[in-house]
Amino acid sequence: MRRLTLPLALLLAASLAALALSAGVGSANLALGELWAVLGGGGDALSRTLILELRLPRSLSAFATGGLLAVAGALMQVLLRNPLADPYVLGLSGGAAVGALAAMLAGLGGMVISGSAFAGALLSTLLVFGLAHGTGSWTPSRLLLTGVVVAAGWGAVVTLMLALSPAERLPGMLYWLMGDLAYARTPMPSLLVLVLVCLLGFPLGRSLNVLARGPMQAAALGVAVRPLEWTIYITASLLTAMAVTTAGSIGFVGLVVPHMLRLVLGNDQRLILPACALAGGTLLVLADTLARTVIAPEQLPVGVITALIGVPTFLYLLYRSR
Amino acid sequence: MSRLETRGLVIDVPGRADGRALDLCLAPEQVWGVLGPNGAGKTTLLHTLAGLRDPRAGQVELDGQPLANLRRRRVARQLGMIFQERQDGFPATVLETALIGRHPYLSAWQMEGGDDVRLAEEALERLDVAHLKHRLVNTLSGGERQRVAIATVLTQSPQLWLADEPTNHLDLHHQTAVMALLAEQSAAGKVVLMCLHDLNLAARWCDHLLLFYPDGEACWGPASDMLVPSALERLYDQRLATAEIDGAPVFVPAR
Amino acid sequence: MVKTISTPAVPPSSVSTLASKRAWPRRLGGLVLAVVPWLTGVSHANEVCAVDDRQREVCLEAPAERIAVLSPGATELTYAAGAGDKVVAVVSYSDYPPEAKEVTSVGSHTRVDLETLVSLQPDLVVGWVTGNPAEQLETIESLGMPVFYIEPRDFEGVSTGIERLARLADTQDEGDRVAQTFRDGMSGLAARHADAATVPVFYQVWDEPLMTVNDVHLIGKVIELCGGYNVFGEQSRLVPRIDDESVLDADPEAIIAGGMGEENRDWLDHWSQYPGLTAVDRDNLFFVPPSLIQRPTPRLLEGSRILCEKLEVARARR
Repeated sequence: MRRLTLPLALLLAASLAALALSAGVGSANLALGELWAVLGGGGDALSRTLILELRLPRSLSAFATGGLLAVAGALMQVLLRNPLADPYVLGLSGGAAVGALAAMLAGLGGMVISGSAFAGALLSTLLVFGLAHGTGSWTPSRLLLTGVVVAAGWGAVVTLMLALSPAERLPGMLYWLMGDLAYARTPMPSLLVLVLVCLLGFPLGRSLNVLARGPMQAAALGVAVRPLEWTIYITASLLTAMAVTTAGSIGFVGLVVPHMLRLVLGNDQRLILPACALAGGTLLVLADTLARTVIAPEQLPVGVITALIGVPTFLYLLYRSR
Repeated sequence: MSRLETRGLVIDVPGRADGRALDLCLAPEQVWGVLGPNGAGKTTLLHTLAGLRDPRAGQVELDGQPLANLRRRRVARQLGMIFQERQDGFPATVLETALIGRHPYLSAWQMEGGDDVRLAEEALERLDVAHLKHRLVNTLSGGERQRVAIATVLTQSPQLWLADEPTNHLDLHHQTAVMALLAEQSAAGKVVLMCLHDLNLAARWCDHLLLFYPDGEACWGPASDMLVPSALERLYDQRLATAEIDGAPVFVPAR
Repeated sequence: MVKTISTPAVPPSSVSTLASKRAWPRRLGGLVLAVVPWLTGVSHANEVCAVDDRQREVCLEAPAERIAVLSPGATELTYAAGAGDKVVAVVSYSDYPPEAKEVTSVGSHTRVDLETLVSLQPDLVVGWVTGNPAEQLETIESLGMPVFYIEPRDFEGVSTGIERLARLADTQDEGDRVAQTFRDGMSGLAARHADAATVPVFYQVWDEPLMTVNDVHLIGKVIELCGGYNVFGEQSRLVPRIDDESVLDADPEAIIAGGMGEENRDWLDHWSQYPGLTAVDRDNLFFVPPSLIQRPTPRLLEGSRILCEKLEVARARR
């Protein structure tokens, strides 16, 4: 058990430190004592508004989104038996983007954009799985290929929508496509889902470990492969859709976080899944803190920061792997 | 004690005629060897016997019950399989790899305990790879990986062993050690069935043989009845020279 | 406090409104809390109200003293309304009048830095209906800062925009004077060109991609005011994207370009390669400084004057 608890305790401490940092740092300068007073239930009205209404909801949303993306990435990688798979690789973000942009084009806002993005992600999920299944059985490579082609299709639709959209809507759309937490105000549903999936992930963890060694080996060791694969696929899709809905499409968290954790912690999913939730959350909290402070008062989309961190990291890992 | 039987079994090799339906009965303390040229369907047969592939016709029964009706977890407690090909997409240590053999016995919330680790370590010891237990599998040589795979099934300790080329990549000493291990399992009341390329290993270690022809034809029975040079020559489409060493026949390809 | 016009008027004692806000404790920002004693204690003799461009009546318990303006155009309007010294926050590119550049920026209009905005504790936020993210403006309102949306779609909208901002800032004398000057100037231009011969005009907003405006756009309305005929006026999109071919086909008598900076001749030189165009043949390629015509502000009067002069030149070259 200690093998599991020690890394998780360290990651939990890192998460809390990142959340504290993001609550304490912003374009408005607040003294550390003031932060402490507010968290203790005191503080003046302005500090309370800044920390409790603006920073904390956003930081917690960032944490939940990062965690969801990293867990979804880890699941997708086991499903596709490919350590380089990404939650967006199967056209999920493309479908979500088309849904969200359609809502923005129609001039709708807030919850409608979120709902539309969610619907788009699920539509893409069903489309890819349905097509990959085809008449026969699906293989990871077939699923991957179908996903990539569907994603390319969504990409074309997104470009078409951008070309046809009125100029004043373009900035909002571009920010959404780059991933942005400026809107995120209700972190609780995502956090709840994150905790739930980590708890439910534990009993499935050993089966996932076996599945990572191939479906034949897994079946020979008593895993009901097809139902497990469906469960992973649907869960990962839902998690991604939820993350995309909160913050637009944020790349590389789902790819880089599981990959780095595996290098350090090995590949026991019972450890990797909760570790991904914590490390992915921490990464996105830090990235978002950077995004809103680095050239404040100008606000950067957080997706830009994760990509700037993620691309070199990923290339380095790829270069090092054989 | 378990028993594996097939009733009118026709394996599904795409584009091949049905050939002869198999009615095999694999009983405890038997060691079966499956011989046949490349592409005869030996691996497909093993996968079908393990329930990992649907047959074209007939069925496989484990202790009188159709394999297809049984839960995989229950099957995995009785039937172990050594695969010829393995996926090492993710890094894992030798000990972790052996430990997955305990998967069928542990409940969802259970972590591998001291007993499980002890079983895995014993299996690694038996296969002479215990010193590698903290190494990553993908850094091992082919022969070492093969022995880790066998140790995994030993950890699983099934009643029925299905082994696809268990001596692949192994040097002469370890070939013999693995064959001795399988013979020992059989002597302890288990059933062993393996695909082999080496006619002489089959002649030396197997008490029953199944000859599998590329067109789906097959014949099977006690090894002594099957090891007829003319039949083997037809099987491999290769003339053979025969000798006898230590009371066992030895076959060498003739020039 | 903000209410839509369609809802029954709330009695001036804002207590009931406040009570309804209390039903949303999470949204009740510190700012609202801070003004509670003041609200309940004093009568509302100082209350000022104005209808914004989303047709909502926005009421302030007292005239605004700290105004945050979230679009460059609205910044000009606020300064024109005489409330320039009350502006505490602007967004990027708020470059006119020059004093506006000295005011604290709260980032770009597409992504407002809410923290900086909240720290400045504005008592009025002037929002941009289509320019600012709706979610951010909703957040600002939920934190207790009243948002007044402004986005003039016609000349009268510029005048009343100035007047309404002046009312909220209690600078009505200055605001009404500026608004009336603009109104008179525009109607003077309209009267002068009411009977002028029609000039087919192509107005170029951007070169790559090539973009123009339709009749609904403010620039389209200026063209109409000056007796011009916008050759792409019938297009359904406000800022249609077009190609050279459609310009050749429409064969305008005058081409008017804005540009990236002031006096960018490149855009006009591009058309010289088509000598068959009437506008090129008669050398009717004109430049109008975009800052004078592309923002709905009082400077539009000067921009319109220049554009009308250019069309007079075109008529003289017939």
